[in-house]
Amino acid sequence: MSVERETSSLTRPLTSSKRHKSVRNSSRKIYTPYQDNPVSSDDEDKDAELVGSNDPEEMFQNIQYQKEIIANIRTKPWPIRRKLKVLKQAREIVLKYEGRLTRTRGYQAAGADLLKKLSRVLYNILVLFVPWEMRIKKIESHFGSGVASYFIFLRWLFGINIVLTIMTGAFIVLPEGYLQYSVLFYGYYGNVRKIGRAGYRLPLAYFLVGMAVFAYSFITLLRKMAKNSRLSLSSASSENYTFCWRIFCAWDYLIGNPEAAESKGAAIVNNIREAIVEEQEKKKETSLAVLISLRILANILVLLSLAGSIYIIYFVVDRSQKLEQQKAELTLWEKNEVSVVVSLITMIAPSAFELVAQLELYHPRTSLRFQLARVLVLYLGNLYSLIIALLDKVNSMSSDIPGNWSDSTSYLATISQHVGSNLSTIVPEITEGRNSTFTMVVIDLNHTTINVKHHFVSGQSAPVFNAMNQTIPFGKKQQDQCWETYVGQEMLKLSIIDMIFTVASILLIDFIRGLVVRYLSDCCCWDLESKFPEYGEFKIAENVLHLIYNQGMIWMGAFFSPCLPAFNVLKLIGLMYLRSWAVLTCNVPHQQVFRASRSNNFYLAMLLFMLFLCMLPTIFAIVRYRPSQHCGPFSGQEKIYDIISETIEKDFPAWFSKVMSYITSPVVVLPALLLLFMLIYYLQSIARSLKFTNNQLRMQLQTERTDDKKKVFKLAAARLQPPEGAEPKPEQESDITSMESPARSASPPRRNGSVNKILSPGRHSNSIHTIAQSASRSDDRSPSILLRPKPSSAYRVFSSPFVPQKEIRRVEHQAYSGRSKSYHHMAYNPSVRFSESVHSDPVFRKSLRPMHTEPGIVTAQSYLGRRPHTTRYVILNEHEPRKKIMRSTVRLPRQYRVVDEPAEIVELYPRNVKCYIPRSQQPHLSEEEEEDETNDNGKKGSLGHTHRPKSLSDLHQRSPARFYIGETLDSRLARRVYGEEEDDDYLEWEEEGPRNRSRTSIKVTETPQRHGEPYIKPKNRRKGEPSLTESDSASLESSSDQQNSSTDQYIQVIHNKEKYLKHNTKMTKKKSKTSAELNMTGPKDLVCSNV
Amino acid sequence: MGNKQTIFTDEQLDAYQDCTFFTRKEILRLHGRYHELAPHLVPMDYTNEPDVKVPLSLIVNMPELKENPFRDRIVESFSEDGLGNLSFNDFVDMFSVLSEMAPRELKAIYAFKIYDFNVDNYICKEDLEKTLNKLTKEELTPEEVNLVCEKAIEEADLDGDSKLSFADFENMISRAPDFLRRPSFLLDIYKLHSWASLP
Repeated sequence: MSVERETSSLTRPLTSSKRHKSVRNSSRKIYTPYQDNPVSSDDEDKDAELVGSNDPEEMFQNIQYQKEIIANIRTKPWPIRRKLKVLKQAREIVLKYEGRLTRTRGYQAAGADLLKKLSRVLYNILVLFVPWEMRIKKIESHFGSGVASYFIFLRWLFGINIVLTIMTGAFIVLPEGYLQYSVLFYGYYGNVRKIGRAGYRLPLAYFLVGMAVFAYSFITLLRKMAKNSRLSLSSASSENYTFCWRIFCAWDYLIGNPEAAESKGAAIVNNIREAIVEEQEKKKETSLAVLISLRILANILVLLSLAGSIYIIYFVVDRSQKLEQQKAELTLWEKNEVSVVVSLITMIAPSAFELVAQLELYHPRTSLRFQLARVLVLYLGNLYSLIIALLDKVNSMSSDIPGNWSDSTSYLATISQHVGSNLSTIVPEITEGRNSTFTMVVIDLNHTTINVKHHFVSGQSAPVFNAMNQTIPFGKKQQDQCWETYVGQEMLKLSIIDMIFTVASILLIDFIRGLVVRYLSDCCCWDLESKFPEYGEFKIAENVLHLIYNQGMIWMGAFFSPCLPAFNVLKLIGLMYLRSWAVLTCNVPHQQVFRASRSNNFYLAMLLFMLFLCMLPTIFAIVRYRPSQHCGPFSGQEKIYDIISETIEKDFPAWFSKVMSYITSPVVVLPALLLLFMLIYYLQSIARSLKFTNNQLRMQLQTERTDDKKKVFKLAAARLQPPEGAEPKPEQESDITSMESPARSASPPRRNGSVNKILSPGRHSNSIHTIAQSASRSDDRSPSILLRPKPSSAYRVFSSPFVPQKEIRRVEHQAYSGRSKSYHHMAYNPSVRFSESVHSDPVFRKSLRPMHTEPGIVTAQSYLGRRPHTTRYVILNEHEPRKKIMRSTVRLPRQYRVVDEPAEIVELYPRNVKCYIPRSQQPHLSEEEEEDETNDNGKKGSLGHTHRPKSLSDLHQRSPARFYIGETLDSRLARRVYGEEEDDDYLEWEEEGPRNRSRTSIKVTETPQRHGEPYIKPKNRRKGEPSLTESDSASLESSSDQQNSSTDQYIQVIHNKEKYLKHNTKMTKKKSKTSAELNMTGPKDLVCSNV
Repeated sequence: MGNKQTIFTDEQLDAYQDCTFFTRKEILRLHGRYHELAPHLVPMDYTNEPDVKVPLSLIVNMPELKENPFRDRIVESFSEDGLGNLSFNDFVDMFSVLSEMAPRELKAIYAFKIYDFNVDNYICKEDLEKTLNKLTKEELTPEEVNLVCEKAIEEADLDGDSKLSFADFENMISRAPDFLRRPSFLLDIYKLHSWASLP
């Protein structure tokens, strides 16, 4: 399997480079960053010369090209000196030749420039207007992005609330007129259908705005979530690099404060230990009886406390109602009892949950998740029980209302009362009654008592004023009349008290505690800073949840109290400053940053959930309850939403209401609903299939990565495997492949653009498809590849008629040479030529057409005739990748290791092959030449064939000179690492050769020491394998090859020297850490012996 | 820059703007920061591109880097000589790559360099050990370190050479879940504030 691993090391850079094209495209030179190369600038000059041609189109292209360079230069991983130089040259070229272009193009370019500059300026300005940017960044720089995410979330909520405020402000509050306390609530607003000369329809506006608030919130939330999920698209992978991420992604580079750095360090240590423990615990399962009972107990406790909190809230609301009825005057406590209790519960219960959670002994992350879920349920329960209790009260209120009140045309202005404030307002209202009588309502509000003078209009014709002087308790009568105001009041009260509690908790729990810890720790017998009180932690998750809760309150109350969003804006501003101050002065970051705290979508989802649940009661109230008859914009209506139908009826042309009535009739609504459902279903199925495709693509990528190595490995196995030995395997495979075939044929096109569907008719039979292809690859000689079912024997050779004779002979030669050696040696025989042909096959596969079967059969037969002598084969099994993919869905990260088991070797076939050889471009070499080349390659330890152009077209473009034949593995890999192997001609290639080589030579000197290092520990993944003696490893290479060795069908497996060396190193039990270097040192002698 | 002393010519500023992710003002501020590091060394006038380098020891003390466990490596990776002496160009380059504007791909390349302590183009076990020790301030026991390193290599090493090539690294990083992929977890030291707000 090391063969396979080795190969992959060569192929991987390629695949990965694909993914980072953008960088790589531009960064061919990155690896030589620190020597500024004169050659490269020469090249540059050549480029410039090129522009000299007078073809305007060409010139234009070139200028565009240069401009592209200018635009993208900042993303290139070059040292800046090179960037500056390249930039300068590019600019010169542009300047020099731009003038020669036509005028329009010049203008276009100038316009684009201007636009670019403008956008730059605009961007600079826009950034200035983002509120609290500096503050948040400061926090971020001190505490890392986890804590900052809370503030970013807060700012985002702030933005939403601003919009909500503007909505309600512009359409409800301002038109109504004066800003008074009472505009806070529903009851203030009149029901006059039109205000002012312009005829502003306040009730309609009120209703629409109330709905728009929800609609807007929904839309923004969903859009944000969609955006986030788009960003995190690729992160859905099931792969898990637990340890790697904990090492490489652990440090938050923004941290700039020593304390934060320290706690981050501690957190990382914890995290890593945690991972270690987890890893160890995977194996052993502790007895669960105690744990389960503990958890059940904990859950019972939590449920009890939830139920208790809900009961308390309900009880308090009930009590307040009774108190209001009994007492004329309520104390401050009695008035605010409900909100205080709710706030207390929201403050205390989470801590209680946290205590309970310690019983459960969950993994910290799990327990945090539980904690969040419980707190969310608690918050929701609180809000719900509150609103239900309130509505319940409303219900009882409306049943209390005496009949004559609703019948009369009297008008009662409701005054809403702000907590703790005394209002004394006189609201003269002129209302048009049925008989055009005027009613004066004067309300004196003193403390909590009001004198209501009700002037009832009685009688029909003569205006009679019945003055009733009543002194009624505020709560009883007033609120009876206007339950909406009452609900709004409660929500506002709740919000205010919540704010007070938040402030108090920040001051007490964080600030005072911080002070105590800091200043008293000297005079205390234990270390305050690290033992008991410590500094307050900033609990991101809980705090974000609290924000969500707060926003839920706003949504719930917004309809009844239009100014609630405005209030919330103020609250959020205050919170922003207070929190940021507290965080910076007296908090330490949470030790365990909850992962979800960074994926905003988690919070957004909770917010969405909250929004939905908070909307329900409002909608319910709107639909279910009758609006107060004597106050508010909807007074006198049966239902609040009647305003819509009324407006449609009265203010729109007749046809419109007709249309509306049609639209709202079941005839339209039901089919529309059905359609919606179908649409949802359709979209969902599309999403599912996209997901599937996505998954498949990812798998494919994955497969590509390990493709070449697997392929070669396969070859190795196949080559050494006897036909008999192969038979059991296809059996396993056939069932899988048969069901996979449809999916596979639908598999997305390969990168190179041509889709190959290699469908073999004989898939059901246990067959291994053998493909032989010619090494020639010129276009006109279309290569042929044949997939033939072979029911009986596994190996069959087909060849195209175009196979040049010498090619075959070369193969023979290889085969013979292989045979002449001892078995093990054969396995390691680094016949470069052979591996090249292996590599070349993708080329043919690409151009494969199913139609080729005809000639294929012919040649196959002719070839078969020669069989004893001609046998080199690339076996391509198209089924395998599928199988592999399936398997890998289960165990993605380790999928390539599956190959470790000899039994599976034959089954794993590469599917997307991307390695092409430069060599295949020179098919006409004479035998001797070829041999020479083989030797050459061998001597140099060349891995030239590992250089793979990305596509067929690439191959054409490339001149052989481009390949790093003479270079060392190290340099080549290095170059690939930094994405240098690109096809744009911007910079020179060759100059890197010597330098890299020299570097290698330095390394070579190091190698002996490395060699000497003791073998420390075998890699875990090899645990299952037998010890790697020489023969063992050989047999690992080719599981069932022993039988096979009697036949003369060999396939040289070995891809390159590197593998050979690799084995060597393993066998000698050396650390393979430096295998690259080893590869470089080793090849010479080894190869010589082979040749 | 009007009546003030000219630090850069307009062309220089333009060039820097094209080569980095900074605005003109930011480049000037960066120069200010650079100048602060070694006032006696760094001239105010950069129009003739003086060849001045500030040693690692001074750069590492910048507040952006001070707490960073990999500060030495960061500075070394961006220096032309590999020893951590930064010219102004290197300095700008460093912060440009570290800025939040730089694309992840670019950051990944430099992150790999930073973690590759022995500059052999692979993150081998030794590199990993060093990384871990720096990260945890050597709080883990050698056994733990060993275990973690082995596990990490096992996870990410797709080609089985017991060390991480850039491709392995890049693949691993690109698969990190969203919250880890946020740039700050991958070399994003450079927020505007951190130097804008400093004196």
